[in-house]
Amino acid sequence: MGTLSKDVVLEALKKVQDPELHRDIVSLGMVKNLEVSEGKIAFTVELTTPACPLREKIHEDCKKALVGLNGVTDLQISFGAQVRGSKTGAGQTDLLPTVKNVILVAAGKGGVGKSTVAANLAVALKMHGAATGLLDADIYGPSIPMIMGVEGEPKKIEVNGEFKLEPPTAHNLPVMSIGFFLEPEQAVIWRGPMLGKALHQLMADVHWGDLDYLVVDMPPGTGDVQITFSQQLKVSGALLVATPQDVALADVIRAKSMFDKVMIPIIGIVENMSYFICDGCGKKHEIFSRGGAERAAEHFKIPFLGEIPITSSLREWSDKGIPIVVKEPKSEISKIFLEIASKLAGQLSVASEVAKRAQALKIISS
Amino acid sequence: MAQIMTKPFPIEINHIREKGVVRVTWDDGHLGDYPRDYLRGYCPCAMCQGHGAKIKFVEVPDAKLAEISAVGNYALQFSWSDGHNTGIYTFDYLRSLCPCSSCQESEDGLEGGKE
Repeated sequence: MGTLSKDVVLEALKKVQDPELHRDIVSLGMVKNLEVSEGKIAFTVELTTPACPLREKIHEDCKKALVGLNGVTDLQISFGAQVRGSKTGAGQTDLLPTVKNVILVAAGKGGVGKSTVAANLAVALKMHGAATGLLDADIYGPSIPMIMGVEGEPKKIEVNGEFKLEPPTAHNLPVMSIGFFLEPEQAVIWRGPMLGKALHQLMADVHWGDLDYLVVDMPPGTGDVQITFSQQLKVSGALLVATPQDVALADVIRAKSMFDKVMIPIIGIVENMSYFICDGCGKKHEIFSRGGAERAAEHFKIPFLGEIPITSSLREWSDKGIPIVVKEPKSEISKIFLEIASKLAGQLSVASEVAKRAQALKIISS
Repeated sequence: MAQIMTKPFPIEINHIREKGVVRVTWDDGHLGDYPRDYLRGYCPCAMCQGHGAKIKFVEVPDAKLAEISAVGNYALQFSWSDGHNTGIYTFDYLRSLCPCSSCQESEDGLEGGKE
């Protein structure tokens, strides 16, 4: 072995794979600021998301790859993160150029706890260190203002000569909801064109600033709003929320066929209300049976990202405007949300890599 | 969780009109020539397939391919000269359809690619 040089170190690091992207960290461009002098090696691994679930593994693998090199006396590995974009879709112009990833949280029907999941995952992504925003597009029953404990009409501000809406901040997240513009208890009975206009405003006229992730709480079901989103916005993919019953499969089929039609990939499924932990006896009760969503995920080969239990504290704090991950960050259920957020971020990193490959795909006729 | 990255991804789709085939080149070095009739017959859309569990071949004589376009990051859409364009062929499905002799010999065949 020759003297220790940058080339020698890079060659050794090529043996370290990103466990999610299945390529080595050198060719993925994740090794930054490499310094090698007199046996001392220092560099930064730039992860594809601050919520990376695999940081420890990559750290260990780097150490293993370098420790055997001739003449190494000191090793300093630090970590940074640069979230990569993964947006795709038919949208002709990108209405949200400053947002890298747009995730639609959706369900084939209502009542599955989609908004609670969306809010807690958005906060969890933020807690992992990613710049995250939350958009409530559930025009029929906007519940994000209540769950996040924020209300009132957003301020109009001027950005580069244009008037934009400034999203209010709740629990450190910029939040926008159609509910901010409605009187409480007022029902939305708009027809298509009116709906499209309101949604367009929510998409185009909000000043989000630079975001790594924008989590969108979609209305339940399959209809107008989904189509508008797919046509006017570039999104990364949809996260489906389903319940454990066997009918979950039917709901997932419905949601999936809709997203297929509007050409939005599904990046994961979570099961909500998986089980109830009794605060009296501590026993897990599988009220709605269990595993329906996981079976659906398996059937369609969609990544299954986790099971969220029902707890009374989740419900209680949602009603009080404090997401459970903020109120009780150390609780079992918050750990589950943080873990699902990591997995979701991991899937989005994968999606960004796929987006890159898809851009390179050549379609020719000869 | 990240099987998606280990799955083959196409790098080139070439509609070779003279031969009447669509040649798909994959990033794992695999290459398959799909005859147009074959692609049309295995159209995965609900109109062609109905709601049965198994993918079936629906014969459409003299299918002419007008256009191929990418769908998001995960599929191709074929537009046929009779106006039919509802089939979204995911890359997985396309790979499972590969008509080359080594793919046809392996048992998985269409089962693995059913959407």
